[in-house]
Amino acid sequence: MSLVNPNIPESVRAVASDGTQLRYALMEMARGMDDVITLGRGDPDLPTPSHIVDAANRAMREGRTGLTAAQGLPQLRRAIADHMREHKGLPVAAGNVMVTTGGQEGLFLAIQALIEPGDEILVPDPRYTSYDDAIRRAGGIMVMVPTDREDAFNLEAEAVEAAITPASKALLIVTPSNPTAGIVTEDRLRAIADVCIRHNLIVIVDEIYSRIIYAPWRHFSIGSLPGMAERTITLDAFSKAYAMTGWRCGYVAAPENVIEAMARVKQVTTGPVATVSQWAGLAAITGPQDCVNEYLKIYTERRAVLLDGLDRMGFAYGEPRGGLFVWADSSSTGIHATELSYLLLKEGRVLIFPGTAFGENWREYVRITLLEPIETLRTAVERMLPVLERYRV
Amino acid sequence: MNTVKTLSRSLASRVARLDALPAPPQDEPEVLSNVVEAAVAALARGETHYTDRPGIPEFRAWVADHLAERYNVLVDPSEVTVTCGSTEARFVTMTLLVEAGGAVLCPGDSSRIRGALHILGADVVDSIQDDISLLYITPDDYRETAIELLQRAEDANWWIVYDLSFAKSAPPFHPAQNEKLASRVVTIDSLSADLAGWRLGWMAGSAAALRLRAGKQAITICTTAVSQWAGLEFLKANVS
Repeated sequence: MSLVNPNIPESVRAVASDGTQLRYALMEMARGMDDVITLGRGDPDLPTPSHIVDAANRAMREGRTGLTAAQGLPQLRRAIADHMREHKGLPVAAGNVMVTTGGQEGLFLAIQALIEPGDEILVPDPRYTSYDDAIRRAGGIMVMVPTDREDAFNLEAEAVEAAITPASKALLIVTPSNPTAGIVTEDRLRAIADVCIRHNLIVIVDEIYSRIIYAPWRHFSIGSLPGMAERTITLDAFSKAYAMTGWRCGYVAAPENVIEAMARVKQVTTGPVATVSQWAGLAAITGPQDCVNEYLKIYTERRAVLLDGLDRMGFAYGEPRGGLFVWADSSSTGIHATELSYLLLKEGRVLIFPGTAFGENWREYVRITLLEPIETLRTAVERMLPVLERYRV
Repeated sequence: MNTVKTLSRSLASRVARLDALPAPPQDEPEVLSNVVEAAVAALARGETHYTDRPGIPEFRAWVADHLAERYNVLVDPSEVTVTCGSTEARFVTMTLLVEAGGAVLCPGDSSRIRGALHILGADVVDSIQDDISLLYITPDDYRETAIELLQRAEDANWWIVYDLSFAKSAPPFHPAQNEKLASRVVTIDSLSADLAGWRLGWMAGSAAALRLRAGKQAITICTTAVSQWAGLEFLKANVS
């Protein structure tokens, strides 16, 4: 299955092998078109809850906008530590926490602080390719660990262990996963923790979607297991659970010396997080949590609508257990995923991302977000169906 | 969790010589009410999502207009990227335009680029040597020295970073006024003096502009939306 459609613009074709740039090229293309339904970027369409915005407004009007320490506001670090202890079972205090400019910077700083050139990082495949750059810059080498649809893209300890070499330094887990919406379940994480302890691996775990889990599944933090706190870097952010992507406010929990190292890197990389965003984050994590449950209910309803649409399209999928996406097998169309995404955008005016934006081998998968209202999702399905019928091989 | 045998052995060597963290400033500089109200209005409009990766178009257009009016330097808004303070702009330009093992020539104060270069594994030097690939200058450097080095940059094909943030002087001089150099000049500036806690800076121009944009995206995706709207109001009201 190759990229044969001669109409695919050069702007897309030129970056087809770079997952992140491919996504941005498609977004640029969509921006130049009218009436496109965007089911591409993982940016919640819902508003930041009003009590969080109100807290930010108060901070600004009271002049609480001066520069903070690189690690973040002390009050916010304490509140995050309390939250992670209470809700994730992580044995952390404020000194184990730092505030980052979104979740992505947390990963960047962790990699810079821990990875030497030549170190191997085990990464479940498919992957969030936006992390590739951070790993490459540090001289790290990604080693893929396979996951599959039949297993709802859960991660197996045996597969992790099989990928370990003498150069292995760390395991990167994203749970719930972007792009697959699979989660790594507690039983699997316990087995993976044993492997990591036996092979002295660091675990970097991105839990940015951990508040968006669909019943009956539940989130489990590997850093809460015995022997794991001293080897685990836990990343999270306010961006997804509270619809706060534009505030750029995330956080990391790690051993104190790692936090100190990451903060030193942050001091010369981006400096402290915008102070107003930190006050907003504090309101998010200490304020009423009804909004998170309310948003989860909305995403649950949307997920049902989208899965129904995918059934009509003849797309298979692993059960989406968390997060804001569906990762669907489009092989029944016989069309390369990049080409399929192009056709659905050009002719159906629906933006989705091809699987190749999340790993070179995922030519028969697409990632679709839940980030439009239900009626819009229904319209998107109706737009996609005739395009698929027209081009299905 | 404070006993960290495993990870204490694992810290990368690149962090070993980074400076200790400074204490945060105790002052809360006053922010003009029009700036605060612009930020409040932006939030009320729902500006709480990712912005365009390089920044809001209005901010980028202001930067391009400012460079044209103040310095007679032409930069397309698409070549401007809004960053998290000038710190991120310096980090991205240094680490993407200089190779590990290479050197940056800095005739003046190098304190603001040493950390980024240390992480990269590159050196900062104050005299000409063979492995230089970038010249870092500010308006506070001796003009004669800067002009001499810019002539050398033209011959040697170095990248040039002209850092206006924190400058004590503001001459109308700009290295990109030289057409032969313009495609290799990145301008850095920020609102760090007036809106430090809002974390706003920018990098503008050069043939590497799109690469720099992607480099910023890989670290922080985009700059805080509400800060960009506040900063835009500050610039429009206070910087002619």
